[in-house]
Amino acid sequence: MISTTRLLGIAGLCAAVPFMGLADTSDKSIALSNNYAGNSWRQAMLESWQKVTAQAVEEGVVSAADAFTTAENQATEQAAQIQNMILQGYDAIVINSASPTALNGAVKEACDAGIVVVSFDGIVTEPCAWRIAVDFQEMGRQQVEYLASRLPEGGNLLEIRGLAGVFVDDEIHAGIAAGVQEHPDFKVAAAVNGDWAQDVAQKAVAGVLPSLPDIAGVVTQGGDGYGAAQAFAASGRDMPIIVMGNRHDEMEWWKQAHEENGYETVSLSIAPGVSTLAFWVAQQVLDGADVPKDLTVPFLKVTQEDLEEVLASTQAGGVANVEYTLDDAKAVISDAAQ
Amino acid sequence: MSRPDASAAHPPHRHGDKPVTSLLSILRKPWLWAFIAAGAAFVATAAVTQAGGWGLGMTALTFAAFSVLVGIGQMFVITLGPGNVDLSIPATMTLAGTLALKAMAGDPAMIPVGLAIALASGLAVGVVNYGLIRLLSIPPIIATLSASFLIQSAAIWSNRGLRVKPPQALADFATGRALGVPNVAVVALLVAVLAWVVLERALAGRRVLAIGQNMRAARLAGVPVDAVRFATYVSCAVLAGLAGFLLASFSGGAALNMGAEYLLMSIAVVVIGGSSIAGGNSNVPGIWGASLFMFLIVSMLNSYGAGAGVRMILTGVIIIAIVAAAGGRKVSR
Repeated sequence: MISTTRLLGIAGLCAAVPFMGLADTSDKSIALSNNYAGNSWRQAMLESWQKVTAQAVEEGVVSAADAFTTAENQATEQAAQIQNMILQGYDAIVINSASPTALNGAVKEACDAGIVVVSFDGIVTEPCAWRIAVDFQEMGRQQVEYLASRLPEGGNLLEIRGLAGVFVDDEIHAGIAAGVQEHPDFKVAAAVNGDWAQDVAQKAVAGVLPSLPDIAGVVTQGGDGYGAAQAFAASGRDMPIIVMGNRHDEMEWWKQAHEENGYETVSLSIAPGVSTLAFWVAQQVLDGADVPKDLTVPFLKVTQEDLEEVLASTQAGGVANVEYTLDDAKAVISDAAQ
Repeated sequence: MSRPDASAAHPPHRHGDKPVTSLLSILRKPWLWAFIAAGAAFVATAAVTQAGGWGLGMTALTFAAFSVLVGIGQMFVITLGPGNVDLSIPATMTLAGTLALKAMAGDPAMIPVGLAIALASGLAVGVVNYGLIRLLSIPPIIATLSASFLIQSAAIWSNRGLRVKPPQALADFATGRALGVPNVAVVALLVAVLAWVVLERALAGRRVLAIGQNMRAARLAGVPVDAVRFATYVSCAVLAGLAGFLLASFSGGAALNMGAEYLLMSIAVVVIGGSSIAGGNSNVPGIWGASLFMFLIVSMLNSYGAGAGVRMILTGVIIIAIVAAAGGRKVSR
C-alpha cells in the first residue's frame, strides 16, 4: 500500500517536473482558514480556491490545499481552528481573518512552528505573516473621482456604508471622505448602513430618501448598489449615478438602464478569486522566493466599455471574478518589491 | 422588576364593556406605547421630509410587513413560556427564499409551486425544530440555533449563494400597491387579523396562553400540550418561510444573508409590542406598532444624520424606555 502510494507520488512528481520547472513545493500542504461563507462573494471565493488548488494538487505543485470555514465568524473560533492546523502539520496557512488583531496570537504560534502564514482580504497585523491587502481607501476615493469626472458641478451624494464597526467599512468611508475633500463641490447629504446586503441597503435607502434633497450620486461598498437602485426607482426620483460593486444583478440592471436611457456608471470591487492569489503567494514563499510582507490586490474595475464582456463571463447571480495564476502572483510580488 | 405572577393575577381583558370603560381599557393596552413611539418617530421624520408623509408612511408599511410576518410567528412561540424562542427564523427565510426562487427560475407559471415550496420548507423546519425539542429534549434555544446551521448549510448547498431573479409578475406583486397600499402590507395585515382571531377568539390561542402561564396546570386541565407546542413551532417556521419568499421576491432574489437582521428584529417587535417575554400574555396589534417603530426609528435617525454609533445607542435607549413604559403601566394596573 505504502509503496504504491509512494510510487504514484513519484510518478506524479516526474510528470509535474517538466511542466512546472520548479516543483520544490510538491510535498508541501497548504490550508485555507476562512472565517465566513454566508454570502455570494465568499461562496465564489471558496469555489475559486477549490478550482485552482484542485488543479495545482493534480499537477503536483503542492500535495494538498484544504479549505476550512468557521461556522460563526468568531475570532476565538478561528484561532482554535488555526491551532488545529498547526497540530495537523500544514506547511502554510492562508487566512481570511475575522479580525486584524485577534488572531495575532495564533498566527505567531504558527510562525514559531515554522509555518508560512499568508493573510488576504481580512488581513492580520502580526508582523511574521504576509498580507495581501485591499486598498479599501483607494476604492472609496476612486468612486468620488469617477463621480467628479461625470459631474463637474458636484452635487449631493448618498453614502451607503457597510456593517458598522467592521474595519473595511471604516476604511472605505475614510477613502470617500478623502475624495469628497479633494472635490469639495460634492457633499455627503446622508449616510446609511446597508450591511453589504441588497435587501438591507434597499430598506435603509427607502427610509431616508423622503427627507433628502436631490441626490446626484451614490457611493457604495459593494453588494448594495442594486438595492439602492430599487429604492430610488420605487420613490419615483431621478436615478442618480450609483457606483456598483460587480454583482451580477447590479451589472444586469446597469446594462438594461443603459439600453433604455443611456445610463452610465462604473463598478469596482475585489475579485473573490483573490483567494487563489493568496494560494500562489504562499506557494512562492514555500518555494523560497523572496516575497515582501505587504502586497496589494489589484481592483477589478468594470467600465461602460467592458460591461458586456464582464457580464457575459459572470455566473448568473454571482460576482464578477478573476482566478489568478502563478504568473499573476509573480507580477504582484515583483511590483511590491520595487 | 419582573413579576411572574402579574399576568396570572390579571386574566386577559374582557371585551365588550361599556364605552367609557372601553376607552379606558385602550389606554391600558400594553401595545399602545409601540404605536405612540411609532407615531412620534413618524412625525419627527416627516417634519424634515420634502415630499410630505405619504411616501414615508407607505415605505414604512412595506418594510414593517416583513417584520410583522416573522414577529407574529415569534410571538406565538414566546407566548409558550420561559425558554421558548425560535432562533432559526433567519436561516428559514434564506432557505425558503433560495429554494422557491430556484424552483421558479423566473417562470411566472411556477409561482404557485414556488410559494408551496417556500411554505413546505417552513413546515419541514418546524417539524425538525420541534423534533429536536421534544424527542431529544434539547432546550429550544439550542435546538433552533443548531437547526439553523443545518438549514443555512442546506441553503448554501442548494444554490451556492447565486441570486436567481423572481418571475416578473411576482416581483411586481411584491413591490406593487393595491389602492395605494403596498401589497406586502396587505398580506401582513391579513396574517395579523388571522393571528388575532386565533389568539383572542379561538381555542388554540387560549391553549397557547394557558401553556405559557403554567404548562403543568395546562396539562392537568387537559390541554394537549405537545400538539399545541408542535403547531406553534411549525406555524412560526411557516410564517418565516412566507416572509423569506416575499422578501426574496421584493428585493430581486434570495441572498444567503438576507434574513440576518430578522433574528433580533423578530424578538424585539414582540417585546416592544407589549407581549410578555416570559410568555403567557401576548397581543397582536403591538407587533404592527413595534414593526413600524423599528423601521421609522432608523429612518428618523438617518434623516437627522446620526452616525451608526449614535443610531445604535439611541435605538437601544428608546427601546428600553418603551419597554419600561409599557411594563410600568402593567404594574400600576
